[in-house]
Amino acid sequence: MSRQNAEPIIRVTDVFKYFDQMCALKNVSMSVAPGEKVVILGPSGSGKSTLLRTINRLEDITSGRIVVDGNDLDDPEVDINKVRMEVGMVFQSFNLFPHKTVLENLTLAPMKLKKIPAEKARDMAYQLLHKVGISEKADVFPSRLSGGQQQRVAIARALAMEPKIMLFDEPTSALDPEMIGEVLEVMAQLAREGMTMVVVTHEMGFAREVADRLVFMDEGVIIEEAPPHDFFNNPRHPRTQKFLEQIL
Amino acid sequence: MKKNKTHEEQQKLVIDVGDGAAIPIKSDKGLVSAWWIAFLGAIGTLLFLVIFKPDPYQRIIEFLPDGILITFQVTVYSILMALVIGLVTGLGRISRNKYINLVASTYVEIVRGVPLLVQLFYIYYALGKFVQVPDMMAAVIAMSFCYGAYMGEVFRAGISSIHKGQTEAARSLGFNRAQTMYYVILPQAWRTILPPVGNEFIALLKDTSLVSILAVADLLRRGREFASESFLYFETYTMVAIIYLIITLILSKLVSIMEERLSRHV
Repeated sequence: MSRQNAEPIIRVTDVFKYFDQMCALKNVSMSVAPGEKVVILGPSGSGKSTLLRTINRLEDITSGRIVVDGNDLDDPEVDINKVRMEVGMVFQSFNLFPHKTVLENLTLAPMKLKKIPAEKARDMAYQLLHKVGISEKADVFPSRLSGGQQQRVAIARALAMEPKIMLFDEPTSALDPEMIGEVLEVMAQLAREGMTMVVVTHEMGFAREVADRLVFMDEGVIIEEAPPHDFFNNPRHPRTQKFLEQIL
Repeated sequence: MKKNKTHEEQQKLVIDVGDGAAIPIKSDKGLVSAWWIAFLGAIGTLLFLVIFKPDPYQRIIEFLPDGILITFQVTVYSILMALVIGLVTGLGRISRNKYINLVASTYVEIVRGVPLLVQLFYIYYALGKFVQVPDMMAAVIAMSFCYGAYMGEVFRAGISSIHKGQTEAARSLGFNRAQTMYYVILPQAWRTILPPVGNEFIALLKDTSLVSILAVADLLRRGREFASESFLYFETYTMVAIIYLIITLILSKLVSIMEERLSRHV
């Protein structure tokens, strides 16, 4: 647990988020240490995706403070686009660019944003595709791929920017059951390599195996935080207990 | 799998921009379709009249090609300018900046509310008050000012038809708004935008007949010139109408072919 003592790379402090009248995040505070893998659990509508999306400011917050790798996201001096280059994100619906080939999906951002030469970007893209196990699909369009393959490409696309942090927003929820494993395996490998990861998921097996810490949310509030072993075996809060009863 | 479905749904989005030419639909195949009847009828009538009644029809048809060329010139210049104005207007209409949004929306509102003929007169004489521009250029400016607004709606609809996830994916990689639009949204929106742009092109071609009142020697104007000299009003306007019809029929066929191609290549 020495990790938690290191200077956090993500620090969320007293965050509120309102959608019109609806309060999606209520006084949420949380931090993530470099290299730490945090899995956020909770029933749907609990605010877990919203919390994740505030970390790269896809969602603006109503009040509070979020600091990512030393950058206060609400500081007008901070270029949010620069911050986002360091924070990869994987979506439930993949969101690959359908007008680009798999390879181009991976090279677009590095070439345009980091001005990496085409050849170097391509080499890197091939390495990443190899890593996620679909190098043979480099030249096809995303619509030709299965959901699992698309999601692995989406992970590779995020990794192509060489981010320090990876955010996963229910990455397997849109997949057919037989494809969930291949995506989780890629994520687990990424975790073993030491990537800092924040994952919103319903995959309890993954949470148990990979997470350093679980965060349980309900109705916009963080109810409980614990390492997986404690979380699953000795949930302290009644709502956590009820949630675990329902899903396990 | 889910992704494929949303993409297909995107394909089916039709942007309805009103009174363009009737675009032949896919099921309209074979010889017995409205398009073929109209097309062969028009060509047949034209040939019949020119061959069997060369006087006056052959004289008329020899008189008109200059006008056809002008009609095409006005149409092409206007559509190109309208595309530029339309892109700017469309982006303005979806802009998060209140003022830009208001300016773009007001422009669209005004253009939609004033008849094209009145706009043409107005811009023509308004321009004439301040600068000396050739008639043709004045006509092009007036046409594109009007069609830019309609084109703006086409762009706006095309851009908003792209799933929000695309913007989020691009932004999460670090692209700013403009880069996201340029690299990710517009290349995809193009597919949805192109068919209605084709429709607008046809509608614009027909509407260029209005510029004949501005001393631009387009197809209709040439017809009027011929008719006023020969007093063969019926014969002249028969030919003018048939020529417009043939042109728009060919163009609408091209648009429908383009539409089909676009929907095939996902």
